[in-house]
Amino acid sequence: MDLETARSKSARTDRRTILHTALLERRAELRQGWLRLIPAECLESLDSAAESVASLLSGQDVFHDWTLAVAHHWLDCQAGLAECLLLIGMGQRIRWPVVVAPPPLSLAAFKKLSSKERVETLSLRYRCPLNIGGEGESEMAEELLRQLMVSDRVKLETEAEFDVDDILLKLNLVAVAAPFKRDLRFLDALNYFYELPHRALSRLRRNPRLLAGWLCLYAQLLCAPDWQR
Amino acid sequence: MRVAVISGSLATGIRIASEVERLPGVEVLIVDCNVRMRSPLFRWLRELALALKSFPWCGYARKLWSYRRSGKLVILDHTLNDSESLERLKSLECDIGLHAANVIYRQPTIDAFRLGILNAHIGILPEYRGRSVAEWSILYGDPTGVTVFFIDSGIDTGSRIILRERISPRDCRSVQSLKTMLFGFDAILYRQALAALASNGFRYTHNEISRGKRYYVMSKILSSSVENILKAGVP
Repeated sequence: MDLETARSKSARTDRRTILHTALLERRAELRQGWLRLIPAECLESLDSAAESVASLLSGQDVFHDWTLAVAHHWLDCQAGLAECLLLIGMGQRIRWPVVVAPPPLSLAAFKKLSSKERVETLSLRYRCPLNIGGEGESEMAEELLRQLMVSDRVKLETEAEFDVDDILLKLNLVAVAAPFKRDLRFLDALNYFYELPHRALSRLRRNPRLLAGWLCLYAQLLCAPDWQR
Repeated sequence: MRVAVISGSLATGIRIASEVERLPGVEVLIVDCNVRMRSPLFRWLRELALALKSFPWCGYARKLWSYRRSGKLVILDHTLNDSESLERLKSLECDIGLHAANVIYRQPTIDAFRLGILNAHIGILPEYRGRSVAEWSILYGDPTGVTVFFIDSGIDTGSRIILRERISPRDCRSVQSLKTMLFGFDAILYRQALAALASNGFRYTHNEISRGKRYYVMSKILSSSVENILKAGVP
């Protein structure tokens, strides 16, 4: 359903249509405004990915359902996490080998990590970021959502110091997890951060790859169907 | 039963206390907290402004004087979780605290009350924990309402639920009016909860948190969708 159809249906109003219309309007806003978040010099630093990122963000409403690539398996990926996130964000078809899942991560231990240690741990465990969508990773996905929406958002809102990689990594992983969960809370964390003052968001440019990955994933999720239960 | 209303303003404290004291066998105190450690001047100017807004002057002054004279008005100069405040709370020897201040309670503060502190949460537990729960309930088409339960140090995870009241959004056409309406039920529902607790054979409902989710502050885009759902009167 495109934005115009959604708007005309919205006049007749049901919950699903109202929500869908709002998300498509946000997608249209992002299509117009993404260059303010990733300016030209930032885009250039993405090298060969720059064109695909620009094309996806400026392009039509599309959702490449990445949940289809995982079927209760743990996937391996030799490329870096940031590269994988960009690939998923740009909607590329992914075929990664299935491997034995590592032992579960202790949530209690994870909560005690410094931001630097957290980035290392997440980058290692979710080298293939699709693994965050697995059943066994639900608690970890929930914890990342909690951290973003409790402490991290306050840091950005109050202009306190924060670790750019840590927050962007969490935003990307929460975005990847969102369609697996079909849980609006995960999408809404992305909405919330996108709505933060521009001054706060511009600080995220320090990691253009993760920033571009997040915005591409977000752009796709806004077009995903069936967010309502 | 000795009950303390833990309030962030005298106006709120008096409003809730007036409702709860109608219950036979209940002695009510008001504990007025300096939630954000405001300066004395700012704190009392705020109190005055809230009093002028909330009550007919005469009735308010009479109530205030009556609580003050009978030693049932306790004014805390420090934050609620401060050790000095804690000692003061313990000395009151209350059975139950009623949450009406914008604070997060630490376990020692909760333990200062024999049975604990009650919270009138504007969502249905165990399904809707955390922030913006009225909005999330509307978005999902679930019932809105208020749950009165004994808090613990987690976010709406206290295991003892006393009552859950479904309250329809009715004529609310905005998120603000919905929340104001739900918050406005606190005094009545605290009274009903205390009555239930005092009744023979009362049993708690277990707050089975695995059946629900923790929600967070809602984005502007979803809040405006909720507003549109309310305006459209979508059932």
